[in-house]
Amino acid sequence: MSGSWVRIAAGVLAAIIVAVIGVQVSGTFQGSVDEATGGNTSVANAFMLVLAIALLIGFVVYAAVEYAQTGALRSISSQFDTRTIVLMPIAIAINIVLGQTVSAALKIPVYLDSIGTILVGALAGPIPGLLTGLLANLIWTFVLAGTPLGSPYAWPFAIVAAEIGLLAGIFGRLGFFRPRPNTPTPQLVVGTVVALAVLAALAYWGILPAYTKGVTFFGDLSGVDPFFVLMAYVIAAVLVIAAIGLVVILFTRRDLGVAYVVVGGAICGVISAIISAPISAVFFGGVTGSGTDFLVAAFQQAGSSLSESVLQQGLISDPIDKTITYIVVFVLLRTLSRRFTARFPQGEQAVGLVGA
Amino acid sequence: MLELHRVSYRYAGYATAVLHDIELTIADGEIVGLVGPNEAGKSTLCLVASGLAPASIGGALSGSLSIDGELMAGRPPHELAERVAIGFQNPDTQLSGVTATVFEEVALGPMNLGLPVAETLARTREALATLGIEDIAERSPNRLSGGQGQLVALASLLAMHPRHVVLDEPTAQLDPEGTRLVGEALRALAATGTALLVTEHKTDLLDGLCQRIIVIDGGRIVLDGPAGDVLADERLPGWGVEPPSRIRLARAMAGRGLDLDLIAGTLR
Amino acid sequence: MSEADVAFLQRLAPPTPSSYHRLNPFTKALAAVAESIAAFVIGGYVGPLAIFGLAVLPAAAMAGVLRRLVRVSVVLTLPIAISVVLISVFTRAGSTVLFTVGPFDATVEGVDFAGQVLVRLITLSTAIGLFGLTTEPRAFVFDLERRGLSPQLAFAATATLEAIPAMLERAKVIQAAQRARGLDTEGRIADRLRGVLPLVGPVVLSSLTEVEERTLALEVRAFGRRGRRHLLWTMPEATWEAPLRWVLLAVLVVIVAARLTGAWPAIP
Repeated sequence: MSGSWVRIAAGVLAAIIVAVIGVQVSGTFQGSVDEATGGNTSVANAFMLVLAIALLIGFVVYAAVEYAQTGALRSISSQFDTRTIVLMPIAIAINIVLGQTVSAALKIPVYLDSIGTILVGALAGPIPGLLTGLLANLIWTFVLAGTPLGSPYAWPFAIVAAEIGLLAGIFGRLGFFRPRPNTPTPQLVVGTVVALAVLAALAYWGILPAYTKGVTFFGDLSGVDPFFVLMAYVIAAVLVIAAIGLVVILFTRRDLGVAYVVVGGAICGVISAIISAPISAVFFGGVTGSGTDFLVAAFQQAGSSLSESVLQQGLISDPIDKTITYIVVFVLLRTLSRRFTARFPQGEQAVGLVGA
Repeated sequence: MLELHRVSYRYAGYATAVLHDIELTIADGEIVGLVGPNEAGKSTLCLVASGLAPASIGGALSGSLSIDGELMAGRPPHELAERVAIGFQNPDTQLSGVTATVFEEVALGPMNLGLPVAETLARTREALATLGIEDIAERSPNRLSGGQGQLVALASLLAMHPRHVVLDEPTAQLDPEGTRLVGEALRALAATGTALLVTEHKTDLLDGLCQRIIVIDGGRIVLDGPAGDVLADERLPGWGVEPPSRIRLARAMAGRGLDLDLIAGTLR
Repeated sequence: MSEADVAFLQRLAPPTPSSYHRLNPFTKALAAVAESIAAFVIGGYVGPLAIFGLAVLPAAAMAGVLRRLVRVSVVLTLPIAISVVLISVFTRAGSTVLFTVGPFDATVEGVDFAGQVLVRLITLSTAIGLFGLTTEPRAFVFDLERRGLSPQLAFAATATLEAIPAMLERAKVIQAAQRARGLDTEGRIADRLRGVLPLVGPVVLSSLTEVEERTLALEVRAFGRRGRRHLLWTMPEATWEAPLRWVLLAVLVVIVAARLTGAWPAIP
């Protein structure tokens, strides 16, 4: 067990170092947006490249450390048993079908197109999760091309989907999806405080810095269109209600697992928003054809540049979307029979042992 | 020869065992029926006999499975696949879902073994011929009747050249026509000298097919004997097993003072 | 293998009715990706329209799928195109305001931006749509496996093709059943949110129950064995296709490098 921690730590550290170096080398990502073409291609591409290389090197380091420790790559190959391979297409179908039909049927501005990816990550591990996300978007574009379900617009986002699956795998291994029924009250209180603190920190350092221009929460409101002031209040109110809702659920269900899932979903959402914003801005002018486009329009109108508005939109929709998705997966895993889940490579970490 | 010696089995994530102290030997070319009430452990016994429990689904097995004298413990599923095959109820989920024709579906197993194309071709044709389904070789596997689907699933197993085949209620989801098709296929299979273990609710299908029948209840073997004796056993309905119609008819007749053998004699 | 055998196996491959269909799937895929990326990297109007008019349209005409391509592309592009037009036109910062709706100004710059995004989207969706209309997905995946893609990943890709229609069917049935029971997919947001789980749950759960049985059915066909397989048929590939792909790739790299370094000026 401790051996695998060393590998994970080494891999994550390597990815972060490479990303930081890459960011330093390629310069800042803000400010140099080319207004005529709606995005600075070179900057955004460099950003994507840095991330891709960072992920790749992190993975190589992980594999190398494992090979050095054990002389084999068992932790990676054992994540791909037949069961996982059979689950992957079903998971991809879940992504695509729910991503297209459910969000359209329910008419809410979330995507819900990563339930399958997160399910595979949680049950089978980080690498199958990563591969499921990657394959899902590539299949969506290339294998389904020429059918009404195909989407020519999915493949540039493959790297985002890969990150979502990877993260779900890591959270799954850490037991984030495990139900924790009948948590004693003191533990519940501490857990809730910690979860709220993590969420607040995430909001303060991860989300708020993106809103310093155009839309400001605490700045001077004179000269700002009342429409946007109202919108900011609505968003703030939603966040407060969500936090209160979390506390209420935690104390009525008495299951600290909910806090883990919400924190995991929020983290995943913020990271996804940061990675997908440049892709969306460069390829599609910030428009994805879904209900979130309205937000991009609003932020642009409020004075943000295209890439800023896409990021501002993403930082609202993605955490909401991913938190809902994580909760859906959490409930699904609890509904599935233990006989089923326990047979996956990471099944026991994901749902816990009998009576535990 | 397939031997289970002192086998007990517990599923992963569960505290109690579902099979207890199973002792079972199936000789080469022998056809054995397996009956018993629901939840008696029939499906589990099939999984254990095929080696998939624990090779694929985990869980805790005590005792041993050996095939032709070799212990199977610790072998990966693909090595077991060439020795013992297992078929299930639902034809749809047994199809791979990735092939465009029945021929490719049946060829999938030999291909997975890494066999050269000529060998795959020969095995596929042989399997289709054994079950008499050469005529649907170029049809889509998704557009078959339940009975045909089950035959394709069976052919896919035969193409692996296993000398032992375990079937878990192969006709449970089939209509009478499908049941008849599968029944004929099982007879054709038996004629090739393959050893068979068949779980089946429809005792009419076992009657005349099996040489030997085993009754299992509560995870233990409670009766093991020649097919004729077991099917005529008075305790069968008590284990939730309906005797074949031949025997029920004879009993009903006898209850009214008629001797079926006598009637058969008169008719003849 | 006899010549008849070879001919039989090749008949299992999907038909290739035109000379564009006969291009190797990998070549067509690379062309679609190169055209899409080039359209984005070059930007403006002239570049994407040139790719669309000089590469995609003639190829579609050659393949005889022009009308279907237009239809598919319109279906796929329309929703996103409407968003692009509405949002870009009204929200681009610009000096020349055409008209105003509420807090939103429509600007000339916005119209220009929307136009540029639209031509890129049209090029992208037709380039990829052409690939889809002229390539059987199975043939593409098999070809990738021949080039070294793992058989397991090849399975995952092709199985998705089967899984999606099956799941859509399920979603439809379940959605209809829940509407009949009064589940709201119209009302307030809170009601709709509450509608997510009852819909997602059954669709996903019913699909996942298949995973276990299909897993076991594949295990007995040696699916878990690692190693190459000998494929029954291959897609044709002309000798000049590999050099052609390298040329395409080289051109793409030059275009991307030229635009990134600013060596080439922006084309309107």
